[in-house]
Amino acid sequence: MDIVTIQNLKKYFGEGAGQVKALDGITLSIEKGKFTAIVGASGSGKTTLLNSIGGLHRPTEGKIAVDGINLAELSEEQLTVFRRRKIGFVFQDYNLVPELTIKENILFPLALDDSAPDKVFFHKITKFLGLDDKLDRFPYMLSGGGQQCTAIARALITKPSIILADEPTGSFDAKTSQNVAGLLRSITQDFHQTLILITHNPELAQLADHVIRLQDGCVVR
Amino acid sequence: MKAAGAKRISLNLILPVILFMTASFLFLAGMLWNYLSPAAIRLLLLTSGILIFLPAFFMERRRKRQQADFANEICASLDALMDGREPEDYAPYEDSQISKVQGRLLGYYELVQESRRQSEDDKQNIQELVSDISHQVKTPVANLLMFTDILKRHELSAEKRAEFLATMEAQVEKLDFLMQSLIKMSRLEAGTFALHMETGSLHETIAQAVSGVWTKATQKNISIDVQCDSQMTVNHDVKWTAEALFNLLDNAVKYTPEGGNIRVSVRPWQFFTRIDISDTGMGIAAGHYHDVFKRFYRAQEAANTEGVGLGLYLARGIITRQKGYISVKSEIGKGTTFSVFLLN
Repeated sequence: MDIVTIQNLKKYFGEGAGQVKALDGITLSIEKGKFTAIVGASGSGKTTLLNSIGGLHRPTEGKIAVDGINLAELSEEQLTVFRRRKIGFVFQDYNLVPELTIKENILFPLALDDSAPDKVFFHKITKFLGLDDKLDRFPYMLSGGGQQCTAIARALITKPSIILADEPTGSFDAKTSQNVAGLLRSITQDFHQTLILITHNPELAQLADHVIRLQDGCVVR
Repeated sequence: MKAAGAKRISLNLILPVILFMTASFLFLAGMLWNYLSPAAIRLLLLTSGILIFLPAFFMERRRKRQQADFANEICASLDALMDGREPEDYAPYEDSQISKVQGRLLGYYELVQESRRQSEDDKQNIQELVSDISHQVKTPVANLLMFTDILKRHELSAEKRAEFLATMEAQVEKLDFLMQSLIKMSRLEAGTFALHMETGSLHETIAQAVSGVWTKATQKNISIDVQCDSQMTVNHDVKWTAEALFNLLDNAVKYTPEGGNIRVSVRPWQFFTRIDISDTGMGIAAGHYHDVFKRFYRAQEAANTEGVGLGLYLARGIITRQKGYISVKSEIGKGTTFSVFLLN
C-alpha cells in the first residue's frame, strides 16, 4: 500500500531566464511502513522533493497525495495541522530550542497540539535513543549525535505516519552516521512508520528497502 | 453543525449580559440596603439568584450536548471502521478535538490491518518458498534417478560404478546441505524461531562461527585473523548470531582464492556493535549489493562455486530480527567487507 503518491510533480523557482527547475516531472509512489532513501547529487532536487511531500512547498504543477489527502486542496492553516499530526521532520541541523531541556524539546510538538504525552511511549523512545538519563540537560550539553537523537525523539513523539529526514547525519563522521541512521531505521520499523531519508552516503542508502535516485529534478530508473 | 454554531454564538453573547445584570442587581442591593424596603431587597436578591441559575442551567445543558455530539461522532467513526470504511467527515487537517481522536483511531485500525496484511504476505511467502524448494531439489533428485537407473540397467566396470557412486554421493550431500538450509530458512520465514537475547561474550560467538569454517579455510590455505576484545559483551542471540556470522565467513572462504586472508574485526559503537568480515576474494559489483541478500541469488561469476544462494539471505534475516542490519562494501578483484551491526 502506498502512503505517498506523486504525479508529474514540477517545482520551479523564479521566472524567465533565471528560472530553476528544481523538480521536473516526477512520478513515484512510496510504500507504507517502508524505509525509502532518496539519493542524488547536490542540486538534484532531493530537498525540494522532501519538502513538497511535507507540504512545505506548493507544487508548480502536478499532484501530491499523502495518506490519501491531496495537499493542494489544503489551506495554509490546514497544512500546518496536517503536518503537525501526520509528519515528523528531522533536519541536518537539529533545530532544537536551546532554552528548553531535552525533555521539553521532545514534548514541544505535543504542547503545540495541546495533547497529553503517552508516558509509556515517551519512556520507550527516550530509552531506545539513549536519552533517558539526559532529559534534564540542555541541548548544548549533548554531542551532535545526542542532539540529533533528541530531534528524532521529537519527530516521533506525536506518532506521525511519516518521518521525513533531510540528511540527518550529514554533519557526522561515518561512525556516528551509521549509528544514528541505524537507530532511525530500527525505531521507525518498530513503530510501523514510513521513513523517507535523504542521504549522500551510499552506505546509508543500503539500509533502505527502496532507493529513489534523482538527477536534475527527475527520477533515474 | 451550523445550527449548533449559531446557538453557541447567541449563548456566548447573552452570557456576559446576564452576568453583568446579576452583578448590577447585587451591587444595587448592597448599596441601597438601608434605603430600600425589605421587600424590594428581597426582589433584587431573588432576581439575582434566578439570573445566576439560568446561565448555569443552559451551560450545563450545552456541555452535555457537546459531550453527546463528541461521543456520537466517535461512535460513527468506530462504526465506519468496523465496517471497513474510512470515517466520513474525517479531516486530519482540521484543528479540532474530534479529528485528533479520529486520527488516533485510524492509526490503530491501520495497525490491525497491517498485521492482517502481514499474515497474507506470509502465506504468499510460503507459497513462493515451496516453489523455490521444489525447483532447487529437482536437479539433484533427477541426477540421482538417472544414475540409479544406469547402475541398475547396465553392466559397468568397477571403476565406472565407483565414479557414478561418487557423483551420486555429491548429489546426496548437496541435497543434505539444501535440506539443512531450507529447515533454517523455513523457521526464519515462518517467524517460528524464538530469539534468546542475552548479554553475552561476542568473542565466544565469533569463535563458534570461525570454528565452523576453520577446516575449510586451512584446506585452502586461507588465514583467518580475529580482532575482538575477549571482554566485549553485546545483547544478542548467541546461537543464531553465530549462524549468521558462520554464513558470512563461509561465503568469504568460498569466494577467496587459495592463500588469501579473512579478517574479522569488532568495534563497539554508542548504539551498535560493528563486526566487519573482510576477505580478499573476487568482490561484488556495486550494482549487486542489494541482490546478494536475495533468496537463491547466485552471481554469474559464482556459478562454478558450490552453494545455493541462501547463506547471506539467512544471515540478513537473522540480524534484522535482532534489530540490527548488515551492509556491504566491495571492490572487484580486491575483496569484500560485510559489516554486521548489532544493537547494543
